[in-house]
Amino acid sequence: MSKDSIVIAGYSETPVAFKSGRSAYDFAGEAFAGLLAATGLEKALVDGLSVTVPLSECANPFFAVYMTEALGLSPSWLNYGGIGGCSATGGVARAAAAIRDGQAEVAVVLSADAPSTNWAANYGAWRGEFQDPVGIMGPPAAFGLLMSRYEHQYGLNYEALAKIAITQREGALLNENAYVKLQKPLSVDDYMNSRMIADPLRLLDCVMFCDGGNAFLVTTEGKAKALGLAKMVRPTAYAEVTNFKGDEATADITETGFSQLAPKVFGKSGLTPGDIGSFHPYDDFTIAVMMQLEDFGFCPKGRGSDYVMATDLSHRGELPVNTGGGQLSAGQPGLASGGLNLAEAVRQMFGEAGARQVANRETALVTGIGVIPYARNWGASAAMILEA
Amino acid sequence: MSEQKTQRPVPKANRFVETEAFWQGIEERELRLQYCPDTEQFQHYPRPVSIYTGKRNLEWRKVAGTGTVYACTIVRVPGPGLDGRLPLSVVTVELDEGVRILGNVLNADPVTVAIGQRVELAWDTIGEDTAYPAFNIVGT
Repeated sequence: MSKDSIVIAGYSETPVAFKSGRSAYDFAGEAFAGLLAATGLEKALVDGLSVTVPLSECANPFFAVYMTEALGLSPSWLNYGGIGGCSATGGVARAAAAIRDGQAEVAVVLSADAPSTNWAANYGAWRGEFQDPVGIMGPPAAFGLLMSRYEHQYGLNYEALAKIAITQREGALLNENAYVKLQKPLSVDDYMNSRMIADPLRLLDCVMFCDGGNAFLVTTEGKAKALGLAKMVRPTAYAEVTNFKGDEATADITETGFSQLAPKVFGKSGLTPGDIGSFHPYDDFTIAVMMQLEDFGFCPKGRGSDYVMATDLSHRGELPVNTGGGQLSAGQPGLASGGLNLAEAVRQMFGEAGARQVANRETALVTGIGVIPYARNWGASAAMILEA
Repeated sequence: MSEQKTQRPVPKANRFVETEAFWQGIEERELRLQYCPDTEQFQHYPRPVSIYTGKRNLEWRKVAGTGTVYACTIVRVPGPGLDGRLPLSVVTVELDEGVRILGNVLNADPVTVAIGQRVELAWDTIGEDTAYPAFNIVGT
């Protein structure tokens, strides 16, 4: 670890709530104050800020600037991240670049959203003419289409999707930040009997829109040590792609951006899938988890069902996956969602996961997904490897 | 289904890019899509430039409206514009011209719609009398 290695030297996460009646600013403030408390950092040392565009406040193009006022910060570097669930890992990567460029020394990557309280998003664009009339009002129908194609090409064992939902739910039972009403065990019958939303997508394949926030401290290893911070992880590889194969009219929609990112992050870090201590894939839907297990080489393409059925994905298992319940079982805090997966990865590597602590704290892989495009899989993909 | 009154909002043309030709085609019961003559490929939905070249050299051309179901789902939960339409067959159709379009299947029980089935153009109605392209399963 060189003196100028970029590190994540602190994290904070609010409990996930539903219809909290609170704003993204308020959750951001809770996450920010929590980060200062966790690190002992003086507010005045923060000179960089990355803010995620939230569904609940996105009608204000100056949300990030207002946030600096809300928090009393005067950053020399400000980023407003609009790649949805990729904005947290993407924010860390952008903060790292800004720090290396000398634009900031101590950056906070802050994501907060409250869409179950206030929905301010209007996607506009082509949707009114070409998507809404067809009845695709949100991500579930798009993922129903994606699942149908996946099933057609590779076969799909619904019990494997049930196992993903059940295993992650077991993690949520050990996660005090998980939305309270999701803290009850699931059975295969619960999954199979859950309401069909957009065939073959069931209710228990889906996340629930909630409210919440999270924050990460990004700086150099040298600065972190000078500040007396003992716990830190290095983001040693990051890659993202937006609109993967966007200029191909008939691309295979079961092929995702992650198939391009996996060789990049493993190549840059020198790690292999077998080296990953815990995997924190963006989990808006169970099929996204399965497809990422394939895309990152934990199993061959199309063999996700068999792999899931044969593998213990719990915190005790061969490949711990979304050990705090992920978004599926902790609740999806709007577009602060990507930070939920990232917070659990950092928490595990810091050894602070309590009853769900994984054994291998050396490495973690975290991903993000952003937005649903027209007749494809998803718009933005991001992947980050963390090393101790 | 096409004769049911629904609360589907009638789309407004030209909100995203120039789409007058698409809506004019509908009035004449033709499906017209954007075409890039430089690469001889269609693109859908319509864009401000060719997604193949980045240039604004674009035309509108009629497509046959025949194709194959590429992906299919059944929307079962209520939402805006879905009143009286559930369960609703939603499909991605790969048109024979090599471009994909989202649509509804009108003439089949949604549970019988399957990937690989051949489809042909059909006309749905939005609001009082606005036609909108949809599909029928061939041979049903």
